[in-house]
Amino acid sequence: MVNENLVKDVVKEPYKYGFVTDIETEKIAKGLNEDIIRLISQKKEEPKYLLDFRLKAFKKWQKMKEPDWAGLGYKQIDYQDIIYYSAPKQKEKISSLDEVDPKLLETFDKLGIPLTEQKKLTNVAVDAVFDSVSIATTFREELAEHGVIFCSISEAVKNHSDLIEKYLGTVVPASDNYFAALNSAVFSDGSFVYIPKGVTCPMDLSSYFRINSGDSGQFERTLIIAEESSSVSYLEGCTAPMFDTNTLHAAVVELIALDDASIKYSTVQNWYAGDEEGVGGIFNFVTKRGKCLGKRSKISWSQVETGSAITWKYPSCLLLGEESVGEFYSVALTNNLQKADTGTKMVHIGPKTKSTIVSKGISAGNSINSYRGLVKMGTKAAGSRNYSQCDSMLIGDQASANTFPYIKSQQPNSEIEHEASTCRISEDQLFYLQSRGIEFEEAVSMMVSGFCRDVFNQLPLEFAAEADKLLALKLEGSVG
Amino acid sequence: MEIIEKIKTNKSIVNQTEIQRFCIKKLQSSPLPNPKSELWRLTNKSKFSKFLDYSVNKKEPKFDTPYPKTSQNTIRLIIGENCQIKLIEKKYSIQQLSEDELFNHIKEQISFCDQNENWSDLLNLSLSCTKNILGLKINGSKIPPIEIFSHASINSLNAKTLVIFLEKNCDIDLLQVNLGKENSSLSQSTFFFLKENSSVNHGVVSYGEHKSNLLNSLNVIQQKNSEYNLGSLHFKFNYARFEIRIKQTSGNAKTNIKGMQITKKDEQISTYTKIDFNGPNGFLDQINKSLADDKSHAIFEGSIKVPKIAQKTDACQLSRNLLLSKFAQIDTKPQLEIIADDVKCKHGATISQLNEEELFYMRTRGITLPEASKLQLSSYFQEIISFIPVSKDRWDLLDKLLNDN
Repeated sequence: MVNENLVKDVVKEPYKYGFVTDIETEKIAKGLNEDIIRLISQKKEEPKYLLDFRLKAFKKWQKMKEPDWAGLGYKQIDYQDIIYYSAPKQKEKISSLDEVDPKLLETFDKLGIPLTEQKKLTNVAVDAVFDSVSIATTFREELAEHGVIFCSISEAVKNHSDLIEKYLGTVVPASDNYFAALNSAVFSDGSFVYIPKGVTCPMDLSSYFRINSGDSGQFERTLIIAEESSSVSYLEGCTAPMFDTNTLHAAVVELIALDDASIKYSTVQNWYAGDEEGVGGIFNFVTKRGKCLGKRSKISWSQVETGSAITWKYPSCLLLGEESVGEFYSVALTNNLQKADTGTKMVHIGPKTKSTIVSKGISAGNSINSYRGLVKMGTKAAGSRNYSQCDSMLIGDQASANTFPYIKSQQPNSEIEHEASTCRISEDQLFYLQSRGIEFEEAVSMMVSGFCRDVFNQLPLEFAAEADKLLALKLEGSVG
Repeated sequence: MEIIEKIKTNKSIVNQTEIQRFCIKKLQSSPLPNPKSELWRLTNKSKFSKFLDYSVNKKEPKFDTPYPKTSQNTIRLIIGENCQIKLIEKKYSIQQLSEDELFNHIKEQISFCDQNENWSDLLNLSLSCTKNILGLKINGSKIPPIEIFSHASINSLNAKTLVIFLEKNCDIDLLQVNLGKENSSLSQSTFFFLKENSSVNHGVVSYGEHKSNLLNSLNVIQQKNSEYNLGSLHFKFNYARFEIRIKQTSGNAKTNIKGMQITKKDEQISTYTKIDFNGPNGFLDQINKSLADDKSHAIFEGSIKVPKIAQKTDACQLSRNLLLSKFAQIDTKPQLEIIADDVKCKHGATISQLNEEELFYMRTRGITLPEASKLQLSSYFQEIISFIPVSKDRWDLLDKLLNDN
């Protein structure tokens, strides 16, 4: 018989990214009103259309009600008690990384993010976002040679205004949901990627989001446009310091893939999850959606969710183009009092579209881990196919694993398959491994890793290593 | 909606029984279910209001059973007509429950119920008069098969209630037939109490006529070592809703459910199931099939709850759907909510059309396309029909399903 407590101990792991960077920041007053929105827009020297977009979103948000259907049961958020803009103070314009505050570079160094020159060898271009602003983007010149635009969204507003005006809010409209409307009104920064026609992005692009202030929310916005026959792999990582208060993170990610384009979007989310009593932690309410506009276009989401006190996130694909493909690969690990309500939406609109969903949930402690997904076949989606697989693993008898798939079909000439199962760490397998001399802790880690293998195989190389390490860290404990 | 007005004002429902008074009181504050709640979200509003449009308490004409009683030793009961039963033989006894007994048991069930979830029962019990409540206490073994009919009358809403108590070590085969009439609504609520070591093979066959509506709810309480097998079939209703709520009070019980709903024209038929495991070693095997043709809409929503106490639960839920027309639609939502860690739970769902390869195979053997489709459909139906107990052959169910238009 496996000692339950032993398994529980194994999944305990202290949060390693919980330090605070002591840096002078520029913050605006708490609260949310039209003046604050005008102030954010003014600080970012935005054109009028963007201010109008923000104000319109704010009006819509005021009329909306905070959703409660996920039953996450979190403490009421006081939206007037949040700072909507916080930026590290630095010189007016940064022309090279040497001018970035060394403290910031040190912070990202500690997080293992290669911003400095000597670490650029890793061949991943990074856009580092600290609280409300992007502080540096690496490899820009190299990318520009290929015509790839990779910069912060504030810069894109200034330098590529036409693209922003054309695409911003076309995938996730401002009125889409409560948190998307809030983000549309107050978004401060984020990444912008544009891959021109026929270009395969020469390196992986990456954004790293860091929340440093305890009282400010992070509202970033990412927009990726892949023109015809282009392809890009984009990675996203997130961490935050440990605070006793809950910090709100409400991001919006929009992806657009035109004919034959492909976008691979990978996330390793490791926001601070709060302590064992559930005090503190990030509220991660994110709207991520991709639009496969073109024929044979492909959008693939892969994610490893280990952090956040509450995660509310459904990366989705709107499959409009003929023969377009949507994919979703997810591992969600929850522990202590974490709550994760995550899944995907695959909306098949065009003919012969295909989608695959593989979701693995691991719940330990007193956590709640739910998969919530929608697969919809529209009337024109003839010849379309979907396959979904949702597996849950329970560690301990206090954790809960839920599956809520929602399947809707209006097209007889399409096929939908869904399967879900729930299991625990098998005693027989543990016994087998231990009898071969493998330590208990390592055996549990191996089994969890094996359980998630389908998803890890889909992660880009750099991330697969990080994800594996992250899960191993989460499983590192006080055994023995 | 005359009925809702009556409930609101608590007037003109004459000669109220204690159960009626109790339920009307519960409904008065919010007499209609919340259309935004998950359980009622997909309900077609105009069809639902049509269901409530007919008036109650009209004098029912004598019911003609569609099939004469066979020589087979079958007990046939018609709710609303021959409720005076006293069948006591040496080996078994069937007794009618008194109004007090009924009230106590039903009250226990609905006292703390959720308004949205149990709205169908509350409405049924608010409208069902003494004559239309049949309560039976069944004891002993070797009980002959039982057939129970509920029927609607033209241009009216009829509410019928069935309460069955199965004593220890008792096992029965029971077929419940709900018959809709032209322009009618039928509200049928069934309450089953299965004591230790009892077992039921329960069949529910509901079929209507043009523009008939049905609200059918089934509540089953299972004590340990009991076995409940349900085979259900719903077809030919303009609007029908079948709710199944099963609770294994202390685990160690077995539940098998095989259900099917067939929608054609612009019909809407939905099935909602909720299975609660409240003890260890529970077992569930559920399959729900839907077939949607023409402009119809079929809905399935199944929820399985496995709390911490229900260790070693083995639950399996499968939703298989056939979508045969590009104007029809199917919604399906199997759900698992699990806290206990030592369990085997899985669910699956598929939506597709008839298998083309199989059709092609049959056509190469000289079978025409319509015949080949029928053959495939009959095997699809047969799995469910074969699970319905009590002289099912006499009902020509397969024939009805394949040939009725």
